Amino acid sequence: MVALSTVPRARARLSLPALTLRNAYTLVAALIILVVLAWAIVPGLFTSHSPYAGITREQFQAPSGAHLFGTDQFGRDVFARVVYGTRSAVLTALVAVGIGLFAGSLIGLVAGFFGRAVDAVLGRLIDVLLAIPAFLLAVIVVVSLGFATVNAAIAVGASSVAVFARLIRSEALRVKGLPFVESAYLVGGNKLQVLFGHVLPNTYRSVLALGVLQFGIAIINISALAFLGYGSPPPAADWGLQVANGKDFLYRYPWLVYAPGIVMVLTVLALNQLNKSISKGR
Amino acid sequence: MATVAIPRRPRSARLAGSYNARYVIARIGQAVLAVVLVYVLIFIIVTVLPGNPVSARLRSPELNYTEKQINDLLAYYRLDRPVWAQLGYALERLILHGDWGLSLDAGRPVTSVIRGGIPSTLELAGASFVIAALLAFVISIGAFYLPAKLGGGVLRTFPSLFLSMPNFLIGLVIIDVFSFNLGWFKITTYDGLSALIYPAVTLAIPVSAPIAQIFISALDAARTEQYSTVAISKGIGRFTLLVRHLLPNAALPTLTITAIIVGDLLGGSMITEAVFGRPGLGTVIETAATDQDVPVLQAAVTLTAVLFLVINLIVDLIYPLLDPRLRRATAR
Repeated sequence: MVALSTVPRARARLSLPALTLRNAYTLVAALIILVVLAWAIVPGLFTSHSPYAGITREQFQAPSGAHLFGTDQFGRDVFARVVYGTRSAVLTALVAVGIGLFAGSLIGLVAGFFGRAVDAVLGRLIDVLLAIPAFLLAVIVVVSLGFATVNAAIAVGASSVAVFARLIRSEALRVKGLPFVESAYLVGGNKLQVLFGHVLPNTYRSVLALGVLQFGIAIINISALAFLGYGSPPPAADWGLQVANGKDFLYRYPWLVYAPGIVMVLTVLALNQLNKSISKGR
Repeated sequence: MATVAIPRRPRSARLAGSYNARYVIARIGQAVLAVVLVYVLIFIIVTVLPGNPVSARLRSPELNYTEKQINDLLAYYRLDRPVWAQLGYALERLILHGDWGLSLDAGRPVTSVIRGGIPSTLELAGASFVIAALLAFVISIGAFYLPAKLGGGVLRTFPSLFLSMPNFLIGLVIIDVFSFNLGWFKITTYDGLSALIYPAVTLAIPVSAPIAQIFISALDAARTEQYSTVAISKGIGRFTLLVRHLLPNAALPTLTITAIIVGDLLGGSMITEAVFGRPGLGTVIETAATDQDVPVLQAAVTLTAVLFLVINLIVDLIYPLLDPRLRRATAR
């Protein structure tokens, strides 16, 4: 046991990207994510309007200095609703990725590490999960759990388990053949120690990249569920719900759709860019 | 696109010798097993997760069923029995009688509810697939050949951009631009070709992204292979290099991803149909989900998984025909 700790852990290190022009995209993406996170944590700092209380005589105002993204049919400030909706978008996406990451890691690690019969059974399970279109799987789960934003997040998380499991399984297969794993056994490490001490830490760069990518996908899928009415009911401040509400007024008041839509696209685009930067390691 | 991958080989002759029957049977067996497991998995999700959608739905005042009707339906689904007995009964009904059960809403057979939506969705998914493949091809070839300054760099960012746009948003933007602003079609009365094209483009945009991503990186990879270097040093033309060496090699991974995105195509058709008010399997699923009509939902989602499995099975089976290296591997 003591000897085991003397084996150097060959961890992949996540170095901070050097700031060059080539990384300009990454920098912009990181800035967007920082703004989104700030909106989610302290929305009150960014807008003085309430996301819920509307002023009826100010309904359907076009974007202006007073109302950055205009107002909706109840005279509510669209920018305030977008900013306050960020928290639900970020939190639900975190829940979804957390579920996918946890369950997927467990299944994938065990399958890849133990191999043989365990792998055959778990591998089949992964295949079956992958065969069901992710969005429809999420719909089924949310129907069974009941319509609410939290349940939509759980559903989207459940639909991403297989994607995580597949990646982590193949990573575990790759890592377990590396020399440092063999040497960990040689100095007396048991299977569990090797699994959690050496295999798991060395899969994390690719898993982190996938997690960031899935974060964006989760935002899209959760808002799509909300758009179809399977999330929390109005008047919740939620990006998908906002677009769904705005679509009835698209012809005359397009900002009701475009404002939350563009914010959503920019957020996911930034996450995709970060995923690229992480998986390339710069 | 993929057929170019086998230059000058007597295909049928090789087939008999090298294409192991055991491999084919094993793959088909796996696919059949997967279909059954998909049904079981969906059954488990619906019954085991907290909440009881079926009996909750049956007792909903909207349906106005009498106590006897409710009891009859509960007995039909064996809801008074343990979960495993319910599952066994559902599987027996499905496998022995091909019976998918009864819809909770109209009491109609599930098959007749679903059947109506299938042709329209296949039409949408098919058209969208063709558009997505063309779009991905154009983007990839452009990104591969155009110098970065002339748009090649921009084209390389397209897949990432397309992946960042939710389906419903693309649909709404297309309606806003082409119907409201340009007046090319009317959302209320549109029919014929425009009823297909706009939803198909909406669905095609996010679906084309993974195809283009894989195709671009496969082209890049093939370009740096030794066979390309040799071909270039022998003085081969750009076009010949593309057709003879790059496309055949890049087509294979692209084919795999293309089979995989069938799932996205079917999942996305649900949202697209909702945005455009186009009837189809997606609308059936949406109605079933909103009404918690579990038997219909179960059958419709299983059906999409079956379609996914069948297409991936076909791709798996033709793969060794396209790739001589794999042919040797499967001919054990």
